[in-house]
This record gives sequence, structure tokens and C-alpha cells, in this order.
Amino acid sequence: MSATQTVTLPLFNTRLTLRGALSLLVVLLAAIPLVFVIYSSLQLDSEGWAGLWSSRLPGLLWNTLSLSVLVGVGSMVLGVSAAWWITRREFPGRRLAIWLMVLPLTIPTYVFAHIYTTLFDDDGWIGQAWQWLFGEAVAIPDLFNVVGVGFILTLAGFSYVFLLVQDSLSRSQQNLEEAARIQGARPAQVFWRVNLPLMRPAIAAGLALVVLHVLSDFGAVSMMRYQTFTLSIYLQMTGRFDYNAAAGLSLVLVSLSLTFLILERFFRNRQRYYGTAQAKRYTARRATRFEIVAIWFWLGLIALFAFVLPILWMLIWSWEAWMQDLISDRFWGYVGNSLLVSVLAASLTVVVALPVALYHARERSWLSQTYLHVSSVGFVLPGPVIALGILAFVLSQVDILYGSLAVLVIAMLIRFLPLAIQAQEAAAQQLTPSMEEAARSLGAGTFENLRRIILPMIRGGMISAWVLVFIDTLKELPATLILRPTGFDTLPVRIWIEASEEMLEHAAPAALMLVIGTLPVLWFLMRPVKQR
Amino acid sequence: MKSRLLLVFLAGLFSLQALAADPLVIYSGRSDKFVKPVVEAFEKETGIQVLLHAGGSTTLLNKLRLEGARTDADLYISNDAGNLQKGSEMGLFRPVPESIAGVIPANFRAPDNTWLGLSARARMLVANSEQSETDFVKSVFDLADPRLEGKLAITHSGNESYIAGVTVYMLAAGEEVTGDWLQGMKDNVDGSVFNKHSKIVNAVADGKKAIGLVNHYYIYRHLDQHPDAPLKVIIPDQGKDGMGVAWNVAGIAMSRHSQKVEAAEKFVAFAASEQGQKLFAEVNREYPTRPGVPAADEVPPLDSYKVADVPMARLGEMRNATLDLIEEVGMP
Repeated sequence: MSATQTVTLPLFNTRLTLRGALSLLVVLLAAIPLVFVIYSSLQLDSEGWAGLWSSRLPGLLWNTLSLSVLVGVGSMVLGVSAAWWITRREFPGRRLAIWLMVLPLTIPTYVFAHIYTTLFDDDGWIGQAWQWLFGEAVAIPDLFNVVGVGFILTLAGFSYVFLLVQDSLSRSQQNLEEAARIQGARPAQVFWRVNLPLMRPAIAAGLALVVLHVLSDFGAVSMMRYQTFTLSIYLQMTGRFDYNAAAGLSLVLVSLSLTFLILERFFRNRQRYYGTAQAKRYTARRATRFEIVAIWFWLGLIALFAFVLPILWMLIWSWEAWMQDLISDRFWGYVGNSLLVSVLAASLTVVVALPVALYHARERSWLSQTYLHVSSVGFVLPGPVIALGILAFVLSQVDILYGSLAVLVIAMLIRFLPLAIQAQEAAAQQLTPSMEEAARSLGAGTFENLRRIILPMIRGGMISAWVLVFIDTLKELPATLILRPTGFDTLPVRIWIEASEEMLEHAAPAALMLVIGTLPVLWFLMRPVKQR
Repeated sequence: MKSRLLLVFLAGLFSLQALAADPLVIYSGRSDKFVKPVVEAFEKETGIQVLLHAGGSTTLLNKLRLEGARTDADLYISNDAGNLQKGSEMGLFRPVPESIAGVIPANFRAPDNTWLGLSARARMLVANSEQSETDFVKSVFDLADPRLEGKLAITHSGNESYIAGVTVYMLAAGEEVTGDWLQGMKDNVDGSVFNKHSKIVNAVADGKKAIGLVNHYYIYRHLDQHPDAPLKVIIPDQGKDGMGVAWNVAGIAMSRHSQKVEAAEKFVAFAASEQGQKLFAEVNREYPTRPGVPAADEVPPLDSYKVADVPMARLGEMRNATLDLIEEVGMP
């Protein structure tokens, strides 16, 4: 299909304009914070820009980029290696291993930062172990630098790469590999020339998620005082009440992220594979004894840092809090509030993302690309900036909604829309257009096609989308802090309040509830894997 | 049926706010734990319900500013005089009648009574009592002395109390002296600063650091839990020529757009009353700003040392200048 065709088609095809029109509506909603940012940065005079450019930008650029690269590489190494072993070898405890690789998603970055700065203290577990191992002579590593922050964000993010690559590997088909083997390719060649290209979309999508999380992370960087764009924007805004400079910085951040996204798309779009329903799935080979040891050593090491240590910390301090009667009735109210917002936001986001995802999966045009990129804005702008944008919009346009839960849910929708679009679009891409065409030739209309062909086939993608949005909403802090209805506290808000009072331990029960609250939905996400 | 249910549900969401009783709303940048005792006593005495909306002082001030007339807030509480004065400059507050504000000394409230300081914290030095190398320290400016290289513990420069302290020193000793002082401290800590005041006290108690600059109550909080900790409190900059200890206050302001002015005034009056003052300050071992109300027993009594003569309102006016200076030096 040539480029000119795809651009002209939507104008003449009613089926496409419906999708297109719905997508446009969604995109307009998603663009609210961007409009706010552009509008505010227009207030910045040339002197203001010059000031930003000379004094801060180079340092911020360097800090942000080096952190992104570090976390990207780290997540890829951890995520791809874990996914490869888990899908390609049958070994005792494989189900457990999958869970251990996904569970870190339930821990917010600020909780990671919290826990690890405590553990690396002189009297923390790791600090003590370090001194026992190396003595006083070797200083305990300092986490308040790019490596420390990168370490924490990698632990918090690699699961995205793992999930997507594992999904793609477990669906990849044996016949391609067999064909390569029959042609005489060695295992290494098969990996580089067959497996890796097939994994590339998944790796790219996973990395995009990770890097976007890094770019917009507020919790960990603010706790560790590592100056990225997001933190700097926040300080500019709250410390100095300078929204225009903050908007200027945000605009640079958005451009940076969009460049990254466009590059990622560019590399991903060059290849496309369609699966067919009948092809034989890959069956994992039984692992040798040596392999079992090696696999569990590696996966165990990842799990130890990414989940076991943090959860132990939470359990111990929650137990203390329980014994000291620090958990009041209100605590359960926070749990309820968190779940309510997350369920509403996830359900709404999945539905709203669908037209954009389908539109882009089917229509590769500059328009669909633009939609996709504009709808990513929620993910790349720092949470506080999005919150302010929405606040300004709601107050000036739909005053009646202000102060209601609806505003908070809309904010979550805008923030996490890209997650839902990515997940659903990835699923829709593997659906061959020929199936839809066949259905249409048999007389199925738009909605029948959607209901009987598309939705059932991308159900997996929709479930992943729901779960991802649910988890991220459950963990969301900066926008919730600003937009929640008066007196409406969620678990992250409580964690943050306790932590800012230097009573870290009191935050443990809330952090633990975040993990527990996510377990059922994770189980839901993981179930299809078992059934395959 | 299903869609009716959905409609009812949605209507419920939108009216969540309206359904709730109509309480007095306080945006509080101070921890619930420290505000609750006052709130509970107030509710008991007046029967007026109070809803605490907790958050960061600056975040909430931003929210107040953006919300304008639409705000739910009747009152704003901050841990930092700088924020209170900022809000006052932005016209977010309504003056408290002199009859209520008058009980608080003039240098602990806004000149136009748009906010009142309720409790004060002092920037003090904590040293390890088993180490004699800090014996020469008499002033915060001694912390820049090269003899303290690697022995000094300070927080990162984003901390509100730290910024307020620097503002006081800048006003008392001038920008140049303060800039050199920051530079000296920067060399002494060599990039390694603390993210929590409580950790500074821990480090000094353990002998990992010799001396630290903190708010006074962190020292007494630690001593409460570890009565035998080898800690020594140094009250800096005393004597005839000393500038005195830097103070900062937590305080309260009434929102300009409050619909419940009467109830809000009642709350402010209660917080400034002897009972309210004691409750507000004592739980965090701070100093009540109202004269005659004693602080917690363990902290040095108010009349036993000299406080820097800087009106609290200046903390807000000079805040950006302080931030500029800190950034210029590049304090971590």
C-alpha cells in the first residue's frame, strides 16, 4: 500500500471516517494539557527563554538523557533475558518466575526510592551487609546520583519490557525458526536473524514505555533530588510560582519525548508480521540441570532486588504499625478511594483508547500518526503540569465539574491513555486485515465487525490495557495530589504525606496495600498465558 | 435497567461533593498528626465540622491560587512563613481582625494580618558530645570552617526550613557573607547531603558526622526515643554580637474566597487561644508564638536565648533572592 493511497482513503470511506471522527474527539481531549503548556510558554518572552536556555537546559538535558539511556539499557537486559529463559525453557517454578518478574510493577517508584535509600543507609539491611562484606574501608554506594536513580527506575520499569517481550515470544511461531534451521542456520544466527527481528516491536514498545516513565517520573527523582526536566519543572512551578518558565521547560520535554516516539515508530514500522491462527506455537524445551541453576540464579537475583527486599520491608513495618495500632478505620477508606479511581479510570480509558488504536492500526497515514503522538502527551508531560492544565481547563470551561471525582478520573484518562492505545494497537496490528475484509464481504457492518471480529481478537490487548492503566492509576501521585476532591485521600497520597513527615515506616501499610490491591488484576492479566 | 443504574452512579459521582455535610475546609501543608489535636478540640468546643485536605504547603498554595473564587478552602495552614507571605502577596488571603490577631507579636504575623504565625521552630546545631573537634563552633558561619571537612551534616537545599534559614542569615549578615558561607559548607560536605533532618541527627548520634544543622525538634524527638544518645545542642550566634538563632513559623491564613468567614475566624481565634496554642505547638515540641504559653519542657525556654531579629514576613519577600543565591553557589 503506497503512502498516497492511505492518505486519500479516509475521505471517501464512511467506515474510516467514523473511526477517524471518534479518534479526533479523543485526541482533542488528550491535547488539553498540551494547549495549556503551549499557551503558557507563549507568555514567556525571549529574555525568559534565553535565561532558561543558558542556565539550565544543558544540565537538565544531560541528566535526563543519561538517565533514560541507563534505565533503557538496564531494563532491556533484565527484561529480555528473563523473558527469553521463561518462554524457551521449561523449569521448576516457571509460573512463580513469571509472577516475580511482573510484581515489581505494583511498587511505585517513590516507594522504591524510599525503601532503597533506607536499605542503603549505614543501619539499613544492605548497608549492614555491605559493611560486613567489605568492612568500613569501602564506602557504601551513594544512591543520590544517576547510577542510583537509574538502578531504582530500572527495577521499577523493566517489567514492561519483560511483559511485552514474553508475550511476543510465547506467541512467536516455531515454523519460522524451523525453516531457518533447515536452511542450516546455527542457533546464534537463528537468534539474530529470526528471533530478534520478531521481538523488535515488543522490545521497542517496552522500551518506549520504560523511557516515557523515566521522562515523566516525579516520585523517585524528587525523593532523590536528581534534577531531571520533570523535577525542575515542578520546582519552578511550586517553589517560584513561575508557571511560564515551567511551561517552557515542559515544551522542551514534550519535543524531546515526541522525537523519541517518532524515532521508535520509525524503526518499528519498517517491518510487520501477521500471525495466522493455525501455525504451531513454540513449545519450551526442558531445561538441563545446569540451566536450572543458572536461570534461577539470574532470575532470583533480579527478583531479590526488584520485589523480595521491598516487600519484606513493607511487611515488617506494616506488622509494626499493626501492633502499634497505627492503622485506623480511615485507612480502609483510602484503600476504597484508590480502588474506585483506578477501576473507573481503567475502564474508561480502555474504551476511549479503542478508536485511536484501531484507527492507527488500520490507517497508516500522517493523520493517524499525528493522533497517536498527540495522544501520547499525557504520558510525557509531568503529572503536576497535566494536573494544572486540566485544572485551568475545567475551571474556565466546565466549572460545574470542578471538585468532583470526574475531574480526577479524566486526568488519569489523559495521563494513561497512551498505555491503553499502545497495548490495544499492538494487538490490533497482529490481526490480519483480511479477516475484517472477509467479514465485510459477508455483509457484516461496522459494529458487527467490531463486536464479532475485532473485539474478540484483541481481547488480550484490551485486558492488558485495562490492567496497565489500573496499576498506573493506583500508583499515581502528582496529579492526584492536585486534583483529588477535597479530603479525598488515596493510598499514594497517604504514603507521600507520611514520607514527607519523615515517618517512613508509617507509609509501609499503604505501600503494601498497593501491592495487594494489584494482585487480583495481575492474576487476570497472567491467566491467558497459562491457558495458551 | 443497566443504563439507569449507570446514570444514578454517575450522578452520585458528580454530587459526591454536594452530598457531604458542609464542613470547614482547611488546606493543610502541615502533617495531619500535628493539626488533628487542635481540630478535634475545636470541633468539640464549637460543634463545627472540619475537613482537612492535606498536601505540600507549596502545592496547596498553587492550588489555592489557580482555583481562585472556586476554591473549597476556608483556611490555609503552612509550615513555612515564606509560603504564607507569598500567598499574601498574591492576594489569596483575607485579613484576620486585629482583635484576634493582636495576641500574636507583630514580627510573627503579616503586617496586614493576612496570616498569623502559630508555632516556631529554631535552626540549631547538634553535635556529638563525645567528640571535641567541634568545640570551636559558636556560630552557624563556623560550619564553613575547613576543619569540619567531611564532618558536617546538612540537608539538601530544597528543604523549606533550610531555605528559610539561609534567608535569615542573608538578611542578618549580608549576601556576600552568606554566599561565602554556602560555598564553604559545600566544600565541607563534598556533595554528600542528607535528604532528611532525622537522618542528620542519627548520623551525629552514631558519630558518623560530628555536627549538623537542623530544626530543634528533630534533636528532641531523637532524645525522646534514645535518651542516652551522645548529643549536644549548640544554640548558635549568641552573645552581644551574635545575630541570634534563625526562626521560622508555621501559621494559618483565611482564604479570601471563603464562604464561611465567621467559622473560619472562630478557628483562627481558637488556634491563637492559649489552649489552641499549646495543642498546636506541643505535639511537635515547637514554640507557641503567643507570649506566655510555655513550650514543651525539654526544649530551651524562649527567654534563655537570642533570636535573630527578622520579621517572618521577610522570609516570603526574600525567597526568590535566596533561591538565586543557593543556585548560584550550586548547593546540592
